Amino acid sequence: MSDNAIIKAEALFIIRNGTAILNEVTTHISKGKNTMLLGHNGAGKSLLLQALHGIITPDSGTISAPPAKSQKMVFQKPILLRRSASRHFDFLCPHLSPTEKIHWFKRAGLMNQMHTPARQLSGGEQQKLAFIGAMASKPDILFLDEPSANLDFEASAKIESLIDHAQKNGATIIMTTHNLAQARRLADHVLFIDHGKIIEDRSAKDFFANPLHDVAKSYIAYHRA
Amino acid sequence: MDFWTPFKLAFDLLLAGNAELMGIIGLSLKVSLTAVIISLVIGMPLGAVLASKKFFGAQTLIVISNTFLSMPPVVVGLLIYILISRSGPLGWLDILYTPYAMILAQSVLVIPMSIALSRQIFETLNNEYKPLFTSLGINAIRRIMVLVVDARIALITIGLACFGRAISEVGAVIIVGGNIRHTTRVMTTAIALETSKGELAIAMALGLVLLSIALLVNIASQFLRHYFKKATIDV
Repeated sequence: MSDNAIIKAEALFIIRNGTAILNEVTTHISKGKNTMLLGHNGAGKSLLLQALHGIITPDSGTISAPPAKSQKMVFQKPILLRRSASRHFDFLCPHLSPTEKIHWFKRAGLMNQMHTPARQLSGGEQQKLAFIGAMASKPDILFLDEPSANLDFEASAKIESLIDHAQKNGATIIMTTHNLAQARRLADHVLFIDHGKIIEDRSAKDFFANPLHDVAKSYIAYHRA
Repeated sequence: MDFWTPFKLAFDLLLAGNAELMGIIGLSLKVSLTAVIISLVIGMPLGAVLASKKFFGAQTLIVISNTFLSMPPVVVGLLIYILISRSGPLGWLDILYTPYAMILAQSVLVIPMSIALSRQIFETLNNEYKPLFTSLGINAIRRIMVLVVDARIALITIGLACFGRAISEVGAVIIVGGNIRHTTRVMTTAIALETSKGELAIAMALGLVLLSIALLVNIASQFLRHYFKKATIDV
């Protein structure tokens, strides 16, 4: 366990219909590192991500984390208000100046879409809008739930450059992904989850070089294929 | 009565700009539109609160408002009559047999509708936005403001439904308004009166005017929806 932990989760349980979908999860997330939550569908990755962010309350266990204001989350399917991209951004970052707003739209390549209804943007554009909305307030922790799912190569590359930018600005990234190549590129640390339990909590280098559990090995083999 | 007589009569009355008819139409619109505005101002925020906040008594409020949805207009009229009649608790207002009493009755009639319909819309929207609101730590007042702004197009439909119920209502306004000529006579009460007098053609003509107003309101609502869509405010 790291002393540099920005989030400490101890013995988290989330139980639905008598089944523990998060089962005694204990982990410390290191500050400034990219922590990747990996695992099969339904393993509990998104649930753990949301619990760590505080939008789902565990049935038991404790989480110590910085104040909610210093955390931001980008959802797998961006939640967009029924207004223009510009006004949606204003809602996410109400204290930003117009100059700063333009800077972020330029950075995401969305200048021509500022006045387009947010929900009419393409999938990649919606994800970029959600990203800049989360990043612009310079959060200490950025939670990303499969940020490039269903995006093409170009959009994924842009998202990764934004993730890189956020990390360079000091944000701790905690994300889920099924894109193993992306995980290899971005991860400093991996939490591998199986049936609601963290079964590997290791550096990304060690995890990818030598996964300890068969389920992790088969996961890597499957996604490599 | 020939089938086309009421249509011809309706056109004749309208084209001639019959002062009494115009007065009746004007009062009908004034009373119903005011009642709709009041019902939206009260009902929408209440609907938003019921949809987005869990608090003690919320379920009771929902049950009460849903019960009032099916309240017969004559019962509403009777209740308002008891309240505002000279010996009633609100008798001091001295509004019985005035348009104010009719506005009050129609408001009471459509507020539950406004609450129930807006609650449904806000609930759907709130379920969608809730993770974002929670993630951003948005407080209850700001949540409600966002819900109201984002549901604005759907709220036009609510206003329209409320207007339809208000303007077509007869039982309550006849009890508290008294159907007094040049004072509280609206289209529905005039139709009831003309029918009772056997003046079916005039009653039918008034009915057609009522129908035309409903048509115009629908066209206006479609136009507004189209405008908002074109103005890229999204739906």
